[in-house]
Amino acid sequence: MRILLLTTDIYGGYGGIALYNRDFAAALTEHPDCEELVVVPRLLPNPPGEIPPKVRFVAEAARNNVAYFRAVRALRRERFDLVFCGHVNLLPVARMMSDRPTLLVYGIEAWKPPRDRLRNRLARNAGAVISISDITLSRFVSWSSFGGRTFVLPNAIHLDEYAIGPRDPNLVTRYGLAGKRVLLTVGRIVAAERYKGFDEVIEVLPDLPKDVVYLIAGGGNDLPRLRRKVDDLGLFDRVIFTGLFPEAEKPALYNLADVYVMPSRGEGFGFVLLEAMACGVPAIGSRHDGSREALRGGQLGTLVDPASAADLRLAITELLARREKRIPAGLDYFSFDNFRARVHAIVNELRR
Amino acid sequence: MCGIGALFAYKDGAPPVRREELEAINERMRPRGPDAGGTWISDDGRVGLAARRLAIIDLSPEGDQPLTDTSGDLVIVFNGEIYNHRELRARLARGGARFHSSSDTEVLLQLYRAHGAEMVELLRGMFAFCIWDRRTERMFVARDPYGIKPLYIADDGQTVRIASTVKALLAGGGVSRTSDPAGVAGFFLTGSVPEPFTTFQSIRAVEAGTAFFIDASGPGRARHHYSIANVFRRGCAQHAFVALVPPETQLREFVSESLTYHLVSDVPVGAFLSAGIDSTGLVALTNQVSRGGPLRTVTLSFDVFRGHESDESSTAERFAREMHSKHTTRIVTRDEFQSDLPRFFDAMDQPTIDGVNTWFVSKATAELGLKVAISGIGGDELFGSYPSFTALPRIVRSMAIARKFPAGMPTARAALTAMSRAGFAGPKAPAVARYGETWGGAYLVKRGLYMPSELPEVMGRDAAEEGLERLAMFDRAERMLEPDPMSDFGRVATLEAAFYMRNQLLRDTDWASMAHSLEVRTPLVDAWLLRQLAPLLTNEGSASKQYFADSPRPPLPSYVRNRPKTGFVVPLIDWAQLPPDGTGTRMRSWAKRVLESFG
Repeated sequence: MRILLLTTDIYGGYGGIALYNRDFAAALTEHPDCEELVVVPRLLPNPPGEIPPKVRFVAEAARNNVAYFRAVRALRRERFDLVFCGHVNLLPVARMMSDRPTLLVYGIEAWKPPRDRLRNRLARNAGAVISISDITLSRFVSWSSFGGRTFVLPNAIHLDEYAIGPRDPNLVTRYGLAGKRVLLTVGRIVAAERYKGFDEVIEVLPDLPKDVVYLIAGGGNDLPRLRRKVDDLGLFDRVIFTGLFPEAEKPALYNLADVYVMPSRGEGFGFVLLEAMACGVPAIGSRHDGSREALRGGQLGTLVDPASAADLRLAITELLARREKRIPAGLDYFSFDNFRARVHAIVNELRR
Repeated sequence: MCGIGALFAYKDGAPPVRREELEAINERMRPRGPDAGGTWISDDGRVGLAARRLAIIDLSPEGDQPLTDTSGDLVIVFNGEIYNHRELRARLARGGARFHSSSDTEVLLQLYRAHGAEMVELLRGMFAFCIWDRRTERMFVARDPYGIKPLYIADDGQTVRIASTVKALLAGGGVSRTSDPAGVAGFFLTGSVPEPFTTFQSIRAVEAGTAFFIDASGPGRARHHYSIANVFRRGCAQHAFVALVPPETQLREFVSESLTYHLVSDVPVGAFLSAGIDSTGLVALTNQVSRGGPLRTVTLSFDVFRGHESDESSTAERFAREMHSKHTTRIVTRDEFQSDLPRFFDAMDQPTIDGVNTWFVSKATAELGLKVAISGIGGDELFGSYPSFTALPRIVRSMAIARKFPAGMPTARAALTAMSRAGFAGPKAPAVARYGETWGGAYLVKRGLYMPSELPEVMGRDAAEEGLERLAMFDRAERMLEPDPMSDFGRVATLEAAFYMRNQLLRDTDWASMAHSLEVRTPLVDAWLLRQLAPLLTNEGSASKQYFADSPRPPLPSYVRNRPKTGFVVPLIDWAQLPPDGTGTRMRSWAKRVLESFG
């Protein structure tokens, strides 16, 4: 079986979607019938690192749109049993390779219809749709009227890469966290995507005990606005911005936290919640986006209404009072083994 | 759903509470809770609690009230439903709480223990409750954000008396029956008695969306735990989210979520069905979220209107067929209306010009053996489909323009008065010129039954002057808009929620349904739903209603969406033989008839 994966970013990419795509690719190559997986990335922000066996990585496609088009056109001479398309915007290119490609949808990119009719029609006529969450699938189906086969494939968490651990003294010193209880959110701070809930957490901070501080881990162009807001509220000593941080520091960052909190509105899934829980940090997520599914409807963590400051404040208070770090029993639902089994079941179904 | 009562002899030297009074209060509320009743009096005789119960969640005796927690420190009486009680239970259990029943009442006790007064902010539902806390010797009293469930209080300086209805407090015999001209004036101005007034000086409504403690010094200052004005204000600042998801999808998700909560019940749930977008939309979405069998739907029809365009039954029947619901059209005749009228007035807790339709549709639903029904009320307030949403901004802006010119306002007043006399403008035009400068004034004129200048003739000069002064209706309306909701839509919606919906629509729905031991649930009147939709509503305004019609899959059919809005017409003029009163609806005559029934 030869598989083509057209995608935005994967190897060398940042963030949850790139990670999801890497896991998806890994699971595909581990299918017993897989001979080769050709991966065509549209973005390559960093060197791709080591490419796994069975994967042919067409890195030159990432240069620009024309290069991408040429790279895919060059593949038309080859035969593929399955074609996956990792973004609605890539559907016109995917159509060169298959009449009915399988579309992968993640989050806000699939929550409302694209502006042009072509992509709209191609989305409706996809061969199948794999969604990272029920909510993304439901929102995608709502505008596209897609009636074909659908699958929900939530993120995987590599549990062996995370663990409950002591606070790293260097990080405690760097961020001034000695004697403090720490709320943490990890994510991009982007002006166009003000949906992570940073503002909401900052706004409840004055009503929390003085030893509670808020660590915002991530970079982005909305950082200056958030800093101004923090200053205006007189919270400069209670909100700490890490800026961009090395990926390798991530588990240590989670282990600084007493509560992970993300009252978001725009998460396709909310992978960071899994990471926090894999470090034993109790998690608060939104009931109105994919976070609900990452917390398995409230079984793994606390769901809050992001529009309710009181709901958020009391949820934080409850979890701070518990002073308990443990990895929730149901977190292995998202283990890579389960992810791989789901991918293989989807592949078998698509080949039928 | 129940009726509750509480007595607290808080002052040193106050006589202990009397069991007979407690039982008389409880007995007056028997129709609200026919399944069980109980009273509790503290060992020192200073506190008494009473409840009648309509069992809907946890039908076992474990859910009976008053309910005491295992420590014996907390005792509660509770009227309403906590729709998110299962989530709260799970959350509390994770924190170590132990439960002995599956009732939502016990969740309230545990939540109070965990969070104190802040617990009300976690409640999704309709509620009015009193918790006696023996540890601190305080009583905690709270009422839901919209005021879906009623609660009245009388404080004579020694003892506080609380009940779900005014008539129950009176039945206890412990409160004065002196009439309050402010309540009566409010009734004539608006067609219902505005909170916190009642028609009795000794009795006040516990204001919607507030909570407070009563201790040895009496009732403390009420804290507002929810502000509709503030929700709209915040909504304006959250427009970024609106862009993420199409409006109809947001409406489907959020209203479906509200419905899912409102369907939580251990008994079957039916639905009121008219031909309007709100109730049909709710029935269509219920079909999509409900895991139960076919929904039971009920439509009301008056025999004199059969075949007339204001009769909604044929459209409702067609829609019900398409939804595969088990449908009943209940026809009401003049004879039935007249024979029900004495019981109707007896059940009416405070004077109101509305409630007839809810009385009969509730009666019809209860006849089918149902204890719970979903209603689409509140949809017009939520989606901005009343004429006030377009008229008020126009009035206020026009008055603002007139004000900019020297002598602009006197000229506008003179012109509108003259036009009104000549028949070129409505009878309210002079009042528009007088009061229309402010949002609250424009609203009260637009919605008014009588104008303030007419009250001396209706209720006597002295009573009218005293009543109007204490009522301070226009100031009251302006205070509702603090903080400023920041959008025209938010301002009108806030006023509609604070006056018509709270004092008339919801109050009438409560007494008229409770008289038939039916619990009416209102998925479109939900504080959490409003918070979620506020960004969308302030962004889209009155277009939201059409997005709501698009929200079910498939969208509502054209014969529902394109049907002219008629409102629900009751043939009162003929059936109640109302004399002419200068208005087309003769509601002023009806108002006088209603007040006569209260003696």
